[in-house]
Amino acid sequence: MKLTEDWLSVIIGFGIIIVAVLGVLQPGWFAF
Amino acid sequence: MTTTTAQPSAEKKNTAGFFIGLAVVIVLCFVTRYFYNIVKPMTLPGGIPGKVLEYPIWAAVIGLIFNWVFKKTNVHERLTPGFKTELFLKVGLILLGGKVSFKVLATAAGGAIIQGIIMVTCVYFFSWWLAGKFGLPDTLRAVMSTAVSICGVSAAIASAGAVLAKKEEITYVTALVIVTALPLMVIAPLIARAMDMPEAVAGAWFGGNVDTTAAVVGAGTIYGETAETIASIVKQTQNVLIGVVAFFLAYYFVAKEGEGERPSLSIIWQRFPKFVLGFILASLLFTFGVISKDNTSYKVIQNIKAWFFCAAFVCMGLELSVAEFKKMGWNPVIVYLIVTLFNTLLALGISYLIFGWLFPVNL
Repeated sequence: MKLTEDWLSVIIGFGIIIVAVLGVLQPGWFAF
Repeated sequence: MTTTTAQPSAEKKNTAGFFIGLAVVIVLCFVTRYFYNIVKPMTLPGGIPGKVLEYPIWAAVIGLIFNWVFKKTNVHERLTPGFKTELFLKVGLILLGGKVSFKVLATAAGGAIIQGIIMVTCVYFFSWWLAGKFGLPDTLRAVMSTAVSICGVSAAIASAGAVLAKKEEITYVTALVIVTALPLMVIAPLIARAMDMPEAVAGAWFGGNVDTTAAVVGAGTIYGETAETIASIVKQTQNVLIGVVAFFLAYYFVAKEGEGERPSLSIIWQRFPKFVLGFILASLLFTFGVISKDNTSYKVIQNIKAWFFCAAFVCMGLELSVAEFKKMGWNPVIVYLIVTLFNTLLALGISYLIFGWLFPVNL
């Protein structure tokens, strides 16, 4: 199955959510 | 022999273009953040507070400036593979889902479904009829009507596949969508503010009226947090309708031409924007407390979301092109602008009716 941009966005999005929930990242690093 | 050696070299060039283009987008995001934070506390000429210039405006303007620079220096085409507007936007929307409770999502989506069905039907058929009066070819009518009634670029691509439109018709409509959506992203929040519109109504209006999801989110972000959320939900609900419209279009064109395969219902799933599932799942994680406002994860996710949205807005500016207009003449532009005006006024009335009265949303 070809990895579409739609599914890729789901993978990246949830990758970020999982890492954030695990507490690895600090909010200050990404302050906009 | 030439083809076998030329192909890997083109692929290599494409990969290099992707990484360099991506690096350029990241740098421009930092430039956006720099200007946004510098100007935010300032008072601009005429007493205008600097915070009015929200980051989507900076991002789009900086994208436009560098679009011009890259075209003048003949490097634009090489960098284009890295300008992934849709991908950045979709990731941002999934992360946005991490702050929307399922109750809000369900209430807003309920209103958005009614709004979407009314808007898509009225705007689609008005656009189809008007484009016919201006003598546009059926394939261009179909692509343009889907783009203006549902969701700009991705809808244009989906419908183009269904009606077998020409490639230049897609690029043309895509250019039209971005050229009108960019100014609307800035003007719509200004009008909403002048009308003192409640945030939920304004969000629904942006979602129903502005043509690309990126510009919808941009307009919502400029207006306020609630507007950003409601605008995103309304637009995503409309996006879900892409598959249904693509199915009916394919059916109509096959019936009209009398040849080709009958489309199957699987087209609805094929065209279903899968990232919406990610948005819903993220919203469930927030609803069940996995992502909580009291934890750092919430802030981290929302901060990263702003970077992805910023990248999408920068890319919007970088991708703008008006060269296509010369090829097809101005008739389609006139049709598109009239339909956009119709879309704007209709969406205004319906948003007030649905989100101001039938489905008021309190965040």
